Order: sequence, then structure tokens, then C-alpha cells
Amino acid sequence: MYSFTTPKPKPLIKEDTKLWLVFIVISVVLYISFALFLEIKTVLYNKDIESFNREIITLKQKIVKIDSQKEFIYRQKTLYEDIMVKNSLMKDSIKNLLDLIPDPVTLSSISFDKNKLIIYGITPTQDIYNMLMLPPLESIFTETKTYFYQMSNGWYKFKSENYLKEKQ
Amino acid sequence: MKLPNVSFKLPKVKIYGIDVIKNFLFFTFFIILTLVFIAFIISPAIHSFKKSKKEYYQTKYTLEITTNQYKEKLTELKKLQNSNRKIINAFKRDFNENNFKLFASKYMSVSSVKEVNSTEYKNEFIKTTYIMTSKIKSPKNFYDFIDALKNYKSVLRVYFPIDFIKNKENIDLTLKLEHYKLKPKKAE
Repeated sequence: MYSFTTPKPKPLIKEDTKLWLVFIVISVVLYISFALFLEIKTVLYNKDIESFNREIITLKQKIVKIDSQKEFIYRQKTLYEDIMVKNSLMKDSIKNLLDLIPDPVTLSSISFDKNKLIIYGITPTQDIYNMLMLPPLESIFTETKTYFYQMSNGWYKFKSENYLKEKQ
Repeated sequence: MKLPNVSFKLPKVKIYGIDVIKNFLFFTFFIILTLVFIAFIISPAIHSFKKSKKEYYQTKYTLEITTNQYKEKLTELKKLQNSNRKIINAFKRDFNENNFKLFASKYMSVSSVKEVNSTEYKNEFIKTTYIMTSKIKSPKNFYDFIDALKNYKSVLRVYFPIDFIKNKENIDLTLKLEHYKLKPKKAE
């Protein structure tokens, strides 16, 4: 057979089909890249969130520790102030008791305890003791006992026992 | 029986040499493919991305607040430590007899300081009791000594029994001293 036209090579895939295929492949690659980009960003965000959460937990633990340290300082301060106040009260109460001793009476010893006071001393007369020293002692203590011993010069040695009974 | 001749061959419609049917089918395929990608890949990815982003900023905000809170608390603690430095240090100190005698010598002549016992106090402190004997010129020395304890390095409490015994020119003073210090922490 003879043909008047020269044969042209027929492509396996036509030009427009090739164009469509390239377009579709590029689109798919772009879609996958975009999705991958988002996934990577999500993973990075999640890693940061984990790290932030760890930091938050550490900081909260430190805050709890600081709070307990502060409380401990407050407890120390309270105890210290309490001790200093008690020392001052002790001084004032002893000073007030010693100030009660009238001039004619001489003390030889005085013993302060938590709930009792024992005084040894010398008084010219029992009346001076009973009038000047006994009333203030009786007003402070719940129970007061006094023992007198006459000395050779006529003065009296005395022992005063004073007790505070705690309220029940 | 003769089966009907069914042919699936697409008809060819060409406008200016462009195969309209084929291009329409490719276009439809492209749209369907795009929708499938959006529905099953991109949309879930965007959803989880947005969720993570929101959580990220929330957590970051919480972290900032917690950091500020921590800094504030730390500043408060340091202020508190500085304003109570004397008390904190006083509770750390052991009782030093020689140092105490030197301190008390301004007010009295200390004869002896004997340790009686040592007990735990309020779980966090140790209370050690001493009996001190000394000589004073007048009760004023005793009052001044108690006042001066406020400025002493250690924490000391004067406690009962307190005995004053007149002895010629001096007064023999016997009293109980309680020393408070922090209980040593157990090794962690």
C-alpha cells in the first residue's frame, strides 16, 4: 500500500493528558507537603507544651517549698518573740515583787518558782510585816503562809510561802 | 439468544482540537482528589494544629503567670529572710558556754553553767536546759541581763526556778536557762 502522507510517531500519552497528570501530581505533592508541614508544627508545639508543663510543675514545687520556708521563718519569728516577751514578763514580775518589799524588811533569800514564791527575811516586828508586806502578797497569791522566828535582838526572822493555784 | 452490544467507549467531542470529555473527566478527577485530600489529610492536620497551637499559647501563658508568681514569692522570701536574719541565725547557733560567760560578765559573775537536759520542742526545735549560778551586785544587774538577752547571738529564755540568796556584799543568783535551736535536718 502506498500512502501520500508520511507517518508521524504517535505518543503513548497525549500532550494534554501529560499536562493534567503533571498538574495532578504537583497538586498532590503540595497537599502532602502542606499536611506534613502542619504535622511537624503540631509535633513541635506538643514538644514545647510538654516542656512548659514540666517547667510549670517544677515552679509549682518551688513555690510550695518557698511557702513552707516562709511559714517556717514565721514560726521561728513567733517563737523568738514569744521567748523575748516571756523574758520581759519574767523580769517585770520579779521587779514588781521585789519593789513590794517595804524598807524596814530585809530579805535574805527569795526563791521564785512557777507557782510559788518562798521568801526568807528579817522584820523588826510582825506587825510591820503583816501591815506592809502581807497584803500585797495575799492579793497576788492564792495561798500565803508566814512563819516567824524571834531572834535574840527582838527582831523576827520570817519565812513566807506563797502559792498560786492554777484554775481547774 | 443474542446479547446486546454494549460499548463503554467515550464519545469524542472536540472543539478546536481539544477533547472536551477527557478534559472534563480529568477536571472532575482533580476536584474529587482535592476534596479527598482536604477531607482526610489536610482538615485533620489543620484541626490538630489549631488545637496544639491553642494549647501551646494557653500553657505558655500559664507558665508566664507561674514564673511571675515564683519570682514574687522568691522576692518575698528574700525580704523576709533579710528582715529576720538575726532570728534565723540565732536559731542556728549552738550554745557556747565561754561566749555566754563573756556576754553575761557585763552584768554578773558567772560561776557555772551546767547542762540539765535536752528535749525536742515543737518538732522543729531542740530545747536545752542549763542551770546557771552567778553572783550579782543588785537585782538591777539581773534586769539588765534579761534586757540584754534580746541582743544575744543565741535564743535564751530565763525560766523558773530563780533563786536570789543574799551573801554579804553580793547576791547569789541561780536560775534556769533554756536554749532553743533548730533541730538538725536529716540527710535526704
